[in-house]
Amino acid sequence: MTRLLLSFLALVIVLTFTPVVSAQALDISSGGQPTITGAVNGSVTGSANVTNDLVVTVNFGEVSPLNTNSIVKVVVPIALRSNQPYQVSVLISGLTVGTGNALQATDIGFGLQNPRLLGGARQMCNQSTHIIRSPFNNDPSTTATVGTSGRVVYPSTLANISGSTLLLSGPELSKNNSSKRQQSDGWVFDAILTITPQFFTTGVSSATLVFSIAPGPNVPC
Amino acid sequence: MPHKIKPLLLTTLLFVSALSCFGQSTTGTISVTATVSKFVEINSGGAVTLTGNSGGGVTTDGVLNSPLAVSINLGELGPVNTNNFVTAQVPLKLRSNAGYVLSMTATVTSSGTTANRISAADVGFGLGTITRTGTGVNGSGTDTNATSGDPTLAANGSVNGTSGRYEFTAVRSNLSAFSSATTALSGPFIMNAVPRSNGNGLTVPAFFAIKPQFFENGTTTISVTFTVTAP
Repeated sequence: MTRLLLSFLALVIVLTFTPVVSAQALDISSGGQPTITGAVNGSVTGSANVTNDLVVTVNFGEVSPLNTNSIVKVVVPIALRSNQPYQVSVLISGLTVGTGNALQATDIGFGLQNPRLLGGARQMCNQSTHIIRSPFNNDPSTTATVGTSGRVVYPSTLANISGSTLLLSGPELSKNNSSKRQQSDGWVFDAILTITPQFFTTGVSSATLVFSIAPGPNVPC
Repeated sequence: MPHKIKPLLLTTLLFVSALSCFGQSTTGTISVTATVSKFVEINSGGAVTLTGNSGGGVTTDGVLNSPLAVSINLGELGPVNTNNFVTAQVPLKLRSNAGYVLSMTATVTSSGTTANRISAADVGFGLGTITRTGTGVNGSGTDTNATSGDPTLAANGSVNGTSGRYEFTAVRSNLSAFSSATTALSGPFIMNAVPRSNGNGLTVPAFFAIKPQFFENGTTTISVTFTVTAP
């Protein structure tokens, strides 16, 4: 009887640990405190703790000429962890924007920048690099230009997101195989969102970006 | 169940449960909102043009795209000035992301005490040709000029056959029509989606004119305030 119970106990441990190890292989979390600059009546909320989920709310505030700043810029650090090659995709849900002179998806600059290590347990691979996919490898606050119509244009915007759109891929990100999120076991990337205040048609616009991480192309570390 | 097994099983389950609570996730979200409110502005459309004056001059001139704060000395307005009219042309620049209304309020105060002093009705007023041109300007908008245009036009005034006094007779062609806030111009949105740094907009000259006459001697101060709103 005792042997049977011990066997059952061992089976429980194995079965229970298996999905936990699998779950921690790929992970997205907050990469630090999000920031906003150039806003009037705007805000950004999100956790500074890198062990918390990535749940960020951005209010760009006023983006008519009532906002006399040259640009409203939001930087959202995103922490990624994996013990295998990965890829990060993004999709948009609940997009409510206008047409013509109203704020459109093309008026919201979006880029990915500044890959950096998340502490000492990160994985430094020298056979493959982390690749930010075109056209998102830019800081829209510095790459914005005025188009022939006088409207501001960006190299990449929310309009470049169609369905689940690949943003980033690369080799494994974490060095250890810890079964939990740690302060120092991955990489951080900055997602940058911008709007230049313009003579847009009045209204309120909104969108939700959903980032997801999945096994990526099998590249060596 | 043996007594040693129960604590072991309990400990194991608690340990596993704790491990499962570290909240790994393969998704994250960023929710975004932005607001665009109505915006209108009036600025100077450039330098003032003063003609027909005898003495006087532009004390504070208009500076293109700067706040409108112009001061003009019309000079002599008695028969000593032999010109037909003393006219000041003040360029205005309007910009908006919504339909706009430009209204005006005017006050005229004179040191004279008789009916022959300069009054609001003796100051001709009108808005001239409206221009919507340049990159970023909504060129398809149709504006409504509630004034009669250049007050010095023959169609907008004449000598009163009875009193002999020159009168600006057309609709909203003199400042007596603007003793309280009165619409002078209105129209649809002016600017397309361009940054505020774009210097273009709707420009329109505001004409002020006085015909030199045998007015009662004295000094007169004319104060005009333009206000643009987005109803």
